[in-house]
Amino acid sequence: MRISIDHRLSFTPPPGTGQAVFHLLLTPRSGPTQTVESWSVEGPGIGNAGRFTDGFGNAAHLVNQIRPEGEIVFHVRGEVETRDSHGVLGRPAGEAVPALYRRSTELPKVPAAFKGDFANTGGTRLDLLHALMAEVGAALGMPDQAPTQMQADGGQAQTSADEPEERPMPADYAHLFIGAARSLDIPARYVVGYRLADDDEGGLHAWAETFDEGLGWIGFDPHQQLCPTERYVRLAVGLDADTAPTLRAVPAIKDQDLDHRVSLKSVLTSID
Amino acid sequence: MGENTPFDEMYNADGSVREPYRALSEWLAEQPEKGLALMQADAEAIFRKLGITFAVYGSEEGTEKVIPFDVIPRIIAANEWRKLSRGIEQRVKALNAFLYDIYHRQEILKAGRIPEKLILNNAAFCPQMMGLEPARGVYAHIIGVDIVRVGPDEFYVLEDNLRTPSGVSYMLEDREAMMMLAPDLFQRSKVAPVETYPENLRRTLESVAPAGAGRNPVIAVLTPGIYNSAYFEHSFLADQMGAQLCEGQDLFVDGGKVYMRTTTGPERVDVIYRRIDDDYLDPLTFRPDSMLGVPGIFDAYRAGNVTLVNAPGTGIADDKAVYTYVPEIIEFYLGEKALLNNVPTYNCTDVDQRAWVLENIAELVVKEVHGSGGYGMMVGPTSTKAQHEEFKKKIIARPDNYIVQPTLALSTCPTHINNDVAPRHVDLRPYVLVGDEVRITPGGLTRVALKKGSLVVNSSQGGGTKDTWVLED
Repeated sequence: MRISIDHRLSFTPPPGTGQAVFHLLLTPRSGPTQTVESWSVEGPGIGNAGRFTDGFGNAAHLVNQIRPEGEIVFHVRGEVETRDSHGVLGRPAGEAVPALYRRSTELPKVPAAFKGDFANTGGTRLDLLHALMAEVGAALGMPDQAPTQMQADGGQAQTSADEPEERPMPADYAHLFIGAARSLDIPARYVVGYRLADDDEGGLHAWAETFDEGLGWIGFDPHQQLCPTERYVRLAVGLDADTAPTLRAVPAIKDQDLDHRVSLKSVLTSID
Repeated sequence: MGENTPFDEMYNADGSVREPYRALSEWLAEQPEKGLALMQADAEAIFRKLGITFAVYGSEEGTEKVIPFDVIPRIIAANEWRKLSRGIEQRVKALNAFLYDIYHRQEILKAGRIPEKLILNNAAFCPQMMGLEPARGVYAHIIGVDIVRVGPDEFYVLEDNLRTPSGVSYMLEDREAMMMLAPDLFQRSKVAPVETYPENLRRTLESVAPAGAGRNPVIAVLTPGIYNSAYFEHSFLADQMGAQLCEGQDLFVDGGKVYMRTTTGPERVDVIYRRIDDDYLDPLTFRPDSMLGVPGIFDAYRAGNVTLVNAPGTGIADDKAVYTYVPEIIEFYLGEKALLNNVPTYNCTDVDQRAWVLENIAELVVKEVHGSGGYGMMVGPTSTKAQHEEFKKKIIARPDNYIVQPTLALSTCPTHINNDVAPRHVDLRPYVLVGDEVRITPGGLTRVALKKGSLVVNSSQGGGTKDTWVLED
């Protein structure tokens, strides 16, 4: 499937900022499940940005703006050809060793019951991970209507006036799943990317990948209760949402002050 | 190790003078009454004039103190030094190879030679460093290895200090002061120079400049500022090397490169000798609340536009829990047996070892895994029963937070105490530079516990320093 992505990310640095510095993870890499056909990141300072690969293998930009005034907009556009592999990513070259993703971080908090429930369930690792995904769904509740737009980067639960209950976001599902997998000694990482919903809408999304000695990396989306399909575009990976932000800045920008507008479309490639 | 009589570096058991100390012994005998006391007073005046002070954290009175200097040098024979420096070189090569491996393929973990969790879940491990190719493959360029001597031929490494070891300015100033105080003593012995350190530091830093830096890389020393206990040293080294001393606010990132604000406009910086801890180095990547660092500096480093010295994440190799594996690390990467001993270390998370430790605490040294500077440690034989009990409780509450070692009988050196000469315990911190080659300054900093019987040599705990002589053949 060919997916066309238009992602506009905007925010306003506090007035009087002398120097604003941004770390962007807004460039997907081609891999077993996707080929980046075209991609552009536009915004102030992009022309002479520092470009590098971060510790997790992501393509990153270091951008700065001296005395920024008003709104700053990064505009990302591109097309990505995706392939359905039942979530199996395998072992892409140039990635950090999988063991790295056994490191425990502060974010994923795992209910004690999780570990006991899964430690001794015979079956294959794949069975276990599917069971774990179902358990995360049960613990956080199935989203009645999948949100098409994540709250900013981390997409973690936030309260609003007309919704007093904290509704878990995709990142919360991913974190719980990652924490549970790691507590079972399975390397697990956080993925941020785009998901095209069935109705041709979609937006930023977060899911997880775990490592299996046989199959390599396998994606799990506990929020949607499925393994990623051709409707998923991987943007960046990390230990958790904190290490894979689409944008990080100094001075820091609060999630709620960061406006993401994403529109996704499946593009029909015509064969004449 | 462990015998009750500590090794005296000046006198043999029969009272005769050991060969390396012969000239010193004669010189001491020739000194007029109160000669040493006068010299001591001169030394203090010199150090005050030089402004060499250090800050004692948590001290009630004025925080800036002149570090006590002992006017009697510590002497190491040429053959002793050859052996020591070979062992040090072996260690720093192995530890740099270990760092490269840990931040790449992690073969040592795959081989099961070090427990994976000890590394991956360690706070000192820096995941952001994964896959980075540092210039010349070097992570720890500036190292201060803490060594103690317990016998004529027996040395132990206490700590490797691969983060930002301090004290090298004392080594240099101690030598300068000593040459002013006792020029005649230098004429009687052939003492290896230490004054080349700043030049060697500069060469080392230049040798690890990024590819695009040109023939004369620009070097900056990045300090947390005047309130840091080692600020004097930061400014001293910058001055000696002819480098700029900068605080975080003096540097900025533009277009993925690092620049320094100067009176004539921004100047590109190629190599940063940073004396700011990893956590505070860059609020964009590490602690977001850091006011000391430079936003974006780590990304500029990853982009290959600047070299950070030492690299972030080197602390994983001098972590006190990883320390016990250093002999294993040397064997794994170099295929050699360790030339210098490690102090046997008890692991308190092991039930049997912990039980033994708790029973024998009065004889043991307890250190916090992430402690330094002599803070948060207990030396059993010189502590009270109440302190023993307090540390027992601490170990039981957090066994993984402490390592326990036998109390070593640190060697003693003659020391000027109240116009007399008496033996006091010493350690040694040689300074090592790793870049295009390994450069070890002969000698290093000798720290001396001025209190009789004390084994804690840290300046923050009442220790002093001595000029350290390595004799040449």
